[in-house]
Amino acid sequence: MNKSLVLLIALFFTYTNLFAQNPARVTIRGVVQDTSAMTLSGATVMLLQPKDSSLVNFARANDKGSFEFRNVKNASYLLKISYVGFLPYQQKLKEFPNDVNDLGPIKIKPIAKELLEVVVKTAKAPLSIKGDTVEYNAASFKVPPGSSVEDLLRRLPGIEVDASGNIKAQGKDVKRVLVDGKTFFGDDPKAATKNLGAETISKVQVYNGKSDQALLTGADDGKKEKTINLELKDEFKKGAFGKITAAVGTSDRGVLRGNYNRFNKKEQFSVLGYANNINETGVNWSDYGEFKGNNSFNSNDNGDFGFGNGNRFYYMEGDYLNNFDGKGFTNNFGTGVNYNYTHQKTKFSSSYFYNQTKLNLDQYQSTKTFLQNSNFTTLDTNNTVSFRNSHSVAARLEQMLDSSNTIIAKTNLRFSGSNSSVNQVQQYLNNSEDVQNRINMNNGSNLNAYNFNFTAIYRHKFKKKGRTFAASSTLSTSSTDGTDNIRSLTRFFNATNVNDQIRAISQLNQNANTTTMIKAGVNYLEPLSKKVYWESFYNFNNSGQNVGRDAFNGNLESQRYDSLSTYYQNQITYNRVGSGLRFSNDGINLSFGLAVLQYDLDGKVYPQKGKPLTANISKQYQALTPNFSANIEFKNNAYMGFNYTLNVEAPSITDLQPVVQNNNPFYITSGNQDLLPAKNHELSFDISKFDPATFASIGIWSSYRYYLSQIVYSQTVDANLVTRTRPENMSGGKNFNVGMYSSFPIIKTKWTMNISGNINTSNTPTIVNTVVNQTNNKNYTINAGFSITPSEKLIMNIEGNLGFNNISYTIENNQNQNIRTKGLSTSVKWNFAKKTFFETSFDYNSYRNDRFGFDQEIPILNCSVRRLFMKENRMEVRLAAFDIFNKRQSIVQTGYLNTVSNQQALTLARYFMLSLTYNLKGHSDKLKKNGGFF
Amino acid sequence: MKKIFLLALLYIAYFTSFGQNNEGVVYFTRTTYWTKLNSTLTYLSKQEKERMSYMFGGKDDWANYTLLYFNDNESKYVNSEEKNDQSEGYAWRKEAYSIGRNFTKNTMTDVIEMLGKTYIVEDSLKLPEWKILNDLKEVAGHICMKAQVEDPIKNQKITAWFAQDLPSQAGPERLWGLPGMILELDINDGAVTVVASKIEFKKVDKELEPPKKLKGKKITDAEYQGMIDKFIKEKIKEEINPFWVIRY
Repeated sequence: MNKSLVLLIALFFTYTNLFAQNPARVTIRGVVQDTSAMTLSGATVMLLQPKDSSLVNFARANDKGSFEFRNVKNASYLLKISYVGFLPYQQKLKEFPNDVNDLGPIKIKPIAKELLEVVVKTAKAPLSIKGDTVEYNAASFKVPPGSSVEDLLRRLPGIEVDASGNIKAQGKDVKRVLVDGKTFFGDDPKAATKNLGAETISKVQVYNGKSDQALLTGADDGKKEKTINLELKDEFKKGAFGKITAAVGTSDRGVLRGNYNRFNKKEQFSVLGYANNINETGVNWSDYGEFKGNNSFNSNDNGDFGFGNGNRFYYMEGDYLNNFDGKGFTNNFGTGVNYNYTHQKTKFSSSYFYNQTKLNLDQYQSTKTFLQNSNFTTLDTNNTVSFRNSHSVAARLEQMLDSSNTIIAKTNLRFSGSNSSVNQVQQYLNNSEDVQNRINMNNGSNLNAYNFNFTAIYRHKFKKKGRTFAASSTLSTSSTDGTDNIRSLTRFFNATNVNDQIRAISQLNQNANTTTMIKAGVNYLEPLSKKVYWESFYNFNNSGQNVGRDAFNGNLESQRYDSLSTYYQNQITYNRVGSGLRFSNDGINLSFGLAVLQYDLDGKVYPQKGKPLTANISKQYQALTPNFSANIEFKNNAYMGFNYTLNVEAPSITDLQPVVQNNNPFYITSGNQDLLPAKNHELSFDISKFDPATFASIGIWSSYRYYLSQIVYSQTVDANLVTRTRPENMSGGKNFNVGMYSSFPIIKTKWTMNISGNINTSNTPTIVNTVVNQTNNKNYTINAGFSITPSEKLIMNIEGNLGFNNISYTIENNQNQNIRTKGLSTSVKWNFAKKTFFETSFDYNSYRNDRFGFDQEIPILNCSVRRLFMKENRMEVRLAAFDIFNKRQSIVQTGYLNTVSNQQALTLARYFMLSLTYNLKGHSDKLKKNGGFF
Repeated sequence: MKKIFLLALLYIAYFTSFGQNNEGVVYFTRTTYWTKLNSTLTYLSKQEKERMSYMFGGKDDWANYTLLYFNDNESKYVNSEEKNDQSEGYAWRKEAYSIGRNFTKNTMTDVIEMLGKTYIVEDSLKLPEWKILNDLKEVAGHICMKAQVEDPIKNQKITAWFAQDLPSQAGPERLWGLPGMILELDINDGAVTVVASKIEFKKVDKELEPPKKLKGKKITDAEYQGMIDKFIKEKIKEEINPFWVIRY
């Protein structure tokens, strides 16, 4: 037998011995009293486990203040007593030797009255009690900015500070002031309180500390000294993040892109910049969000009141987002700063942004135009070089005046400029495909514009819940100043007369337009009951436009073309009053309303600015517009929505202007002063169902629009194939759209299928050489795809789509067009080694139109490998190959009115690129399964 | 005569004052702070969390109103009909949600609509493992003490503040079992808070009655917790926030 075994046996016996002695279950009782031996009936008495304060049992003291725990397990406990107005009391209880154990009277200490009244009740600050230390949140006590700790202490209950800065706590002198538990600059307690700023303190603790003597010798002499400990804040929530990317590629491609954000509790500051020649004309969505910070989305910003104003959408103004249309080559540069300030009831944001894009576009387009029983083809080759830039300054202030009044003011100022030169050759082929005319155009333009916008919105909530009032007003002015330089040379191959064979145009247009708009609105919402609301609104809008154009002979600038020049003044006043009822309860939301609107148009035409009036057009239209909407959420997560509205839209100013545009001598447009507003019935209906357990969803949506009056461009085409268009009102024309979508898992967490389809049919009337043509357009698309995630390290997507577009024209019914598109796209993301990723995508698209003999296939393959380096994966190195087959171009096939066209443009094709990205917060070393945010 | 009147008055006063403290309704405001809630999702990268709080922090809260009916023996916690200011009068469908507790019988009867189905969770009550802390604060006029509990399934650390002077074991959400009425909850450092705004002492027998017809699938508490557990794990794997569709 060795020693340890003996010990073990001995231990075992002691243990069982103890066990035998102490009862398994015991009764514990006692009496709760205050320090003056008054019984405290109703006090809460708790038995906790000593190791983690877990609640085991609790009881309440009866009217004599006594409590009893019967038949509880015999163990060591922490006895805890709490009573309103008293410090929580704690006592350790050891295992009991007897069955019944009386703890006798237990005296608990009251909390200083001022602590309770001032700290807990008035300042609403939690009190934290640690033994005899009382701690509370100093941040709950308001002191003016710049105050010292001394000023803060003066406000704290139970603490007195005399004129020379000596401190007393609970009537006793404070000998020591510690900062984060340490002595602050020597022994003078005033050193800390006089020198530290109040805003640096988060908590104040007052307790009886051991005396200096005891601390020094380590022997507790029993003397306690009042001590104050000041706990410093973990600083304001403060930080910075950002990233920078630099990339170089073949064919002189390069990218530089970066953003940096700094923030604290109140302020956000961001800078953003980019420069590239890879067709990124702006920033992406997430960079934009980081730039704008908490100013990205603003609710309540819409001052245009109307039906359904109850559903206020958050919206984002995406001025600087990448909006490249896939055509041409661009060089881009942009930079901006944004500052947001949010504190209590004030929210202020401001930003400045500059961006510029230089575009070089080569485009080829063939268009077939149908006339009655004949047609002609236009072949157009054009090269455009353009440059545009803009400076934009914006500010927004949202101020809550009090809990029921809010004011929002926002303003935006923008200066922009552009110039472009277009070299264009157009050939006009007649019915039998012979070239009839050829035109060489060389047009240049130059434009400078400024826009200013100011909106103020006031919102008021009444005492009665649900009753609200809002008012808004907007002032907006803009002015554009530009010149067009038009040069063209036209050959008419059919002309018999030599003089008619060639025509040259050289013209200089000077355009100066100004617009001033004043807008105002009010909205009032009255709850008639908990479920029914009555809503009323009024809108006013007055916009005045001055349009001036002076056309000159390009070779002889003193010669003014009066027929092509004009000066036009336009005033449009819009008034609308509407009222409606809303019912809303438990997922059923219905609304019905009616509005009356009136447009007053007043146009004045002068031959030239400063010359006498030649014509005055004055018009007034009224309309009654009903509106109905229903949104119903059913049980089982099904949803149904229905909407009906009558839309009335005033003609656009460009359409009203009696100005002839002859930039292309074969396509001359002019405005029409007699235009009436466009009016249409619009219906929409949708149903959907969602299964929250699997996230499977299915939905059908549809919309229908019927035009009572529509603005269409009537055409007259003469023998020389010159088209003249003019906007006119026509009734008829409809558009019907129906679609479905569904997404469901095939294998949970691994395979998801998405399908969608859409049918669109439309009928558009046009007048071609005084004959009405009906264009019927039928468009079918179908999409199906899978997302496959076999493991954390591999994500795949495959999707196919088919599109059919059938277009028929009543004036030329043997010319029905069938445009077909097919597409297949696949992508793979593979995290094949630690911190190393391979990503590839392959897209195949085919475009076909048999009647044009057009058949084009475009396969695009992209591949990239990237690896993360450095601490927290801050550096990413990526090698990428874009469009490996060198096939990228833009193809757009459209059928519009009495035309069908086919447009091809060159754009950036194959290049290879090496990029480095440094991210302050590090890159994620995992693949992201969902592109979305959360 | 006067004496009798006085006595009667005293008697009434006594009973009303007595009856006042153990029966009534607590009005709660339940606020979800989505940015904080989303920050607890393990699959989001640092950059994403940073961006989220940078863009949406400070205006990500959505308030709902809830009611807790209680007497000595029972409690029932339900959604209130009241609409919040943010909804601007739009009424979302209220999912079936009623949490019933009977402390004398030691039973729970919860009607919870979840993942497209209505479940009736019927089981005996199992006391949450509360830890009692030493902090005091005032909620709705009552001095409350701090307690904490953990929910390993939803990965939540829950702080509760219970009143020292309201001797009821009732509480909001599915929580109960403290020596005083729970008047405030704070889940995961403020991702969701449930705070009492006022307490009305009155007869609530009618409100406490169980719904006459209970439509739904009957399950035990363990089955209910198991279902949540499975769903959360599945969605986290798919990198979808499970709390879009289940109560946090």
